Amino acid sequence: MTATEVTAAGKRAAREEFAPEARPGRVRSQVLGALSLAAGLVAWQLAYDLFIQRSLFISSPTKIVATFWRLLKEGELYPHIWASGAEFAYGYVLSVVVGIPLGFFMATNRKINHYLDPWVAALYATPRIALAPLVVIWFGIGLFSKSLIVFLGAVFYIILNTYTGIRGVRENLIEVVKAFGGSRIQVFFKVMVPDAIPAIITGMRLAVGRGIIGVVVAEWFGATAGLGYMVYYYSQVFQPSEVLVGIGLLTAIGYVSFYLLERLQQWISPWYQIQIERELGGTHE
Amino acid sequence: MTPRLQVRGLRKWFYSQRSERRLQVFDEITLEVLPSEFLTIVGPSGCGKTTLLRVLDGLIPYEEGEILLDGHSVVKPGADKGFVFQDSSLLPWRTVMDNVILGLELQRIPRRDARQRALQHIELVGLKGFEDHYPYELSGGMQQRVNLARALVVDPAILLMDEPFASLDAQTREIMQAELLKLWAQDRKTVLFVTHQIEEAIFLADRVAVLTARPSRVREVVEIKLPRPRRLEMKRTPEFLDHADHIWRMIQEEVYRTMARTGHDRD
Ligand SMILES: Nc1ncnc2c1ncn2[C@@H]1O[C@H](COP(=O)(O)OP(=O)(O)OP(=O)(O)O)[C@@H](O)[C@H]1O
Ligand SMILES: [Mg+2]
Repeated sequence: MTATEVTAAGKRAAREEFAPEARPGRVRSQVLGALSLAAGLVAWQLAYDLFIQRSLFISSPTKIVATFWRLLKEGELYPHIWASGAEFAYGYVLSVVVGIPLGFFMATNRKINHYLDPWVAALYATPRIALAPLVVIWFGIGLFSKSLIVFLGAVFYIILNTYTGIRGVRENLIEVVKAFGGSRIQVFFKVMVPDAIPAIITGMRLAVGRGIIGVVVAEWFGATAGLGYMVYYYSQVFQPSEVLVGIGLLTAIGYVSFYLLERLQQWISPWYQIQIERELGGTHE
Repeated sequence: MTPRLQVRGLRKWFYSQRSERRLQVFDEITLEVLPSEFLTIVGPSGCGKTTLLRVLDGLIPYEEGEILLDGHSVVKPGADKGFVFQDSSLLPWRTVMDNVILGLELQRIPRRDARQRALQHIELVGLKGFEDHYPYELSGGMQQRVNLARALVVDPAILLMDEPFASLDAQTREIMQAELLKLWAQDRKTVLFVTHQIEEAIFLADRVAVLTARPSRVREVVEIKLPRPRRLEMKRTPEFLDHADHIWRMIQEEVYRTMARTGHDRD
């Protein structure tokens, strides 16, 4: 027992001594960031209380929070969150399930790439959000067409990042595994997958924002519930607090997804952060 | 003594995909490495040293000739050969332990035994306590120790080393040379070591093979009779410097020959 504890502690000590982290700097930048945000909110509140007080066009932080609590207690928010959450989840998961294999096959199979590349390039360049009204005409205003709009917004980031990730797999590392007698399958699981995963997760993170825009726009073209619908509805009746609550919640969904994916990346590829820091940090150790 | 590695009449071309052109790398390589011998290979830049090691490991094909390891033809990579690559060949997503274990894992050796053996070799190269570090947390010298341990752990019949110290600073490099020899003295594995540095080649070797410019042949094999254990001071003895001078002249000649030839080839 004690022996293992001792070695574990020793290792930790060795590691910290060898790779001293820039903790103080990181904490300081977080504190500064929080202060900046707080100052902005206070300024907004003061400006509202001093110069505006009542408005059909703008609200204040305290009012938004109060509105949020009221809507939450009255139970009005849940259906909206639920509807948007479902649209987002279906569309996003679909784009991951479709995007990763597509990107992978495009990167590894020249023929597939020949056929698919023009489509991906053309659709990527299209402002796909402008297809939303068409999708609604074709498939109605149900969950399916909204998820499809989310999917269209998100999937290309995942395809392209998977493609770049697989293409960027380091040839010399593949050779290492081959040199030690690794089979093709072993090369795939022991080099290609781990080397490409950071890029793929980065693609998934970029796709979150696009997916959320998809949710909002899809709901503008006909919906009876959802955060995008809520934003649209309350802006039509000049209730800015409710509008901003909706936007805030959309932001929160995006932020939480983004954050969870970052944690996922750190959990699956803890080495990636170290590599980036080392490469950015350059020579000073 | 029957040689551990026999290379006879090896010829190789690289074929370019786009054009009809092909590049001849080896004109005719014939070389023997004896059991427990430390043979180093030097030659002008681009003459095919790395290619030779890759061919000998079975990573890439060759057109003509024969390669025998302990009498058996080399057809593919495997645990009978240990490859020590130039820098940054560690898998960055694996810790030191998991990098060293790689060769055993690929052979599907039970994890417990594999860890035990890996641990021994991590200790052997002086990295005890760093098992859980990632490569990017290590200095260049430490990374190359891991690289070495990774090749040694599979207990290969021959160790193929491709300029393993090329990216290290001069001091670390000398330390690594001395340590490599100390390690080698323990079990006298057969080693084929490629380098750019003539001094390094002589210091380490029983024999130094000098390659010609491309398409390359073995121009001369120089026997190094310096006593072992070698000490860094020997690099300044007259005998050592004579060897260095002799090899340096040969490589110079080869370099000038290439320059003259590429001058003519420009058409
Ligand atoms: N995969 C390849 N395809 C085509 N040509 C190649 C390939 N690998 C190497 N070559 C060519 O073969 C020749 C020998 O290359 P190699 O890397 O073996 O030389 P080297 O002696 O190791 O060089 P250096 O001293 O720079 O390490 C070079 O001209 C190189 O351009
Ligand atoms: Mg080379």
